[in-house]
Amino acid sequence: MILRLPFLSMHLPARAITVSLCLVSLLVVALLSALHLGAYPLNISQIGQAVLGHAEGIQRMIVLDHRLPRILTAIGAGAAFGLAGSMFQTMLRNPLASPDVIGFSAGASCGALLAMILTGGFVLFGALIGGVVTALVVIGLAWKDGLHPYRLILVGIGASLTLSAGADLLMTKLDALTAAEMAKWLVGSLNARNWADVQLIWVGLAVLLPLSLWLQFPLTRLAMADDIANGLGVALSSMRLAITATAVALVALAVSVAGPLPFVAFVSGPISRRLVRQGKPALLQAAIVGALVTLLADMAARSVPLVHLPTGVFTAIIGAPVLMWLLLVQFKKGTL
Amino acid sequence: MTQLCRLSARDISVSFGKTPVLKELHTDIPDGKLTVIVGPNACGKSTLLRSLARLQPVNKGQVVLDGKAIHKQNSRSVARRLAILPQMPTAPEGLLVRDLVIRGRTPHQSALKQWSHEDATAVETALEQTGMAHNAGRPLEALSGGQRQRAWIAMALAQDTDILLLDEPTTYLDLPHQIELLTLVQKLNRETGRTVAMVLHDINLAARFADHIIALKDGRVHRAGSPAEVITEANMDSVFALPCTVIADPVHGSPHVIPA
Repeated sequence: MILRLPFLSMHLPARAITVSLCLVSLLVVALLSALHLGAYPLNISQIGQAVLGHAEGIQRMIVLDHRLPRILTAIGAGAAFGLAGSMFQTMLRNPLASPDVIGFSAGASCGALLAMILTGGFVLFGALIGGVVTALVVIGLAWKDGLHPYRLILVGIGASLTLSAGADLLMTKLDALTAAEMAKWLVGSLNARNWADVQLIWVGLAVLLPLSLWLQFPLTRLAMADDIANGLGVALSSMRLAITATAVALVALAVSVAGPLPFVAFVSGPISRRLVRQGKPALLQAAIVGALVTLLADMAARSVPLVHLPTGVFTAIIGAPVLMWLLLVQFKKGTL
Repeated sequence: MTQLCRLSARDISVSFGKTPVLKELHTDIPDGKLTVIVGPNACGKSTLLRSLARLQPVNKGQVVLDGKAIHKQNSRSVARRLAILPQMPTAPEGLLVRDLVIRGRTPHQSALKQWSHEDATAVETALEQTGMAHNAGRPLEALSGGQRQRAWIAMALAQDTDILLLDEPTTYLDLPHQIELLTLVQKLNRETGRTVAMVLHDINLAARFADHIIALKDGRVHRAGSPAEVITEANMDSVFALPCTVIADPVHGSPHVIPA
């Protein structure tokens, strides 16, 4: 299908459209079930009334103050992780080069933790600084006559482990109660999200999602070899910088509302690429996959009664087998 | 002899670390001709081609395209006049031939205007010219080596430039496919009037297909001119240290090297 307007013209492959529609429908179904899920029984019409603002008392409180903000934060954070992961993986031409593997998520969470300890707030600010500094250090250490993905991944994994250890060390500075809360957050938690979190992540996405989709054009060219992108007139350095900055901002934003949910950024890109096929990056689809994975993981976390399990435990349970599967496939093809 | 040359290297020096690769090399790429760069391994053939395409920064001197230093021009604007097909190019897994050829339109597109009528025409023309129209819907990795190389050439053609640079386009192709590909390149040069410059390993193929040959040795132009001028026993000995007899190819009339 070809879209041709005076100001906008592009190919819209039928398969990409179908995949997006299916993913969105799945997300809507998941959203409705997530609203339904919980210890306090509510039927669909009660939920509908509450969402539309026609309910009172406990119904209203449960839906509007508890379930909905948590769900919307999960969707927003998952989408941000999915976008950022897919952008890095495409730019560096390697599915292992996702921000949660190469330390950018760990850097953002360390920054957020430090900001929390030092000032008692400024989580987003801390996450941004942490993410940017980690990105600079990792890229700087891996740089030698250009950015070789393999070296970047090795340095990044090292940085990731160091930063996690650093975060553990920082925790000793906290009193036991805060430390226990923080420990959950460091695994990635969506417990007790409020409308401020929802606002933060969605306002951020409103800016960064269109920017990412605009960057998909150079990104698609960067997915080929440097010489080819260069020969086609793509400004390599400035586009790489723009893509890195956008993706790091997305990671910092998501980390500041949901913690470093592991593997969401990692799995969304490969899953969406395999769904859309034809060797094109599918950023929008990656965002929806990320949202879906996070929401499903959070529903799993919520469905375990009494204990407040962090969501990150379940994103890992979904993500880890995909990682192993990808590694096996790559290993067999000799492209690892 | 005065020839029009939109693209030329003016005393360029390139070194990798401390190793000099090109040493104040000066050469012109004649317009509308098929130029082949030859020379022994590690003489700087690819580096010269990459420098001509502004992929390789030069340490001294400058590459001039249309009267201005190429490295100082806007890369996108250069890409509308000059296309380069690097050695052994790679593409993401699963990419279809048509999508690859569409990527060639990049310098004519933008994030919002990704598919004009000109884009559609140029892509179809490129697929026709390379005989890849019937393979357009296949993924790149499903093609044979020769077909894959044609797909990449189609991408460079879709870029719709006056100048086309090819870095060893025949690598890993068997002889029939080498001939097929070079015949295609020659046909494109004759029919569309494009300036073509390419690096080739095989001197006899270079002699048969080229209008103009640049023979490099140790990062300098040893000899440049028509095949008859460059492919001589004396030059083969001085450039390649190859004792040989040069005869006229009984079929095509071009010089033919028979190593001793």
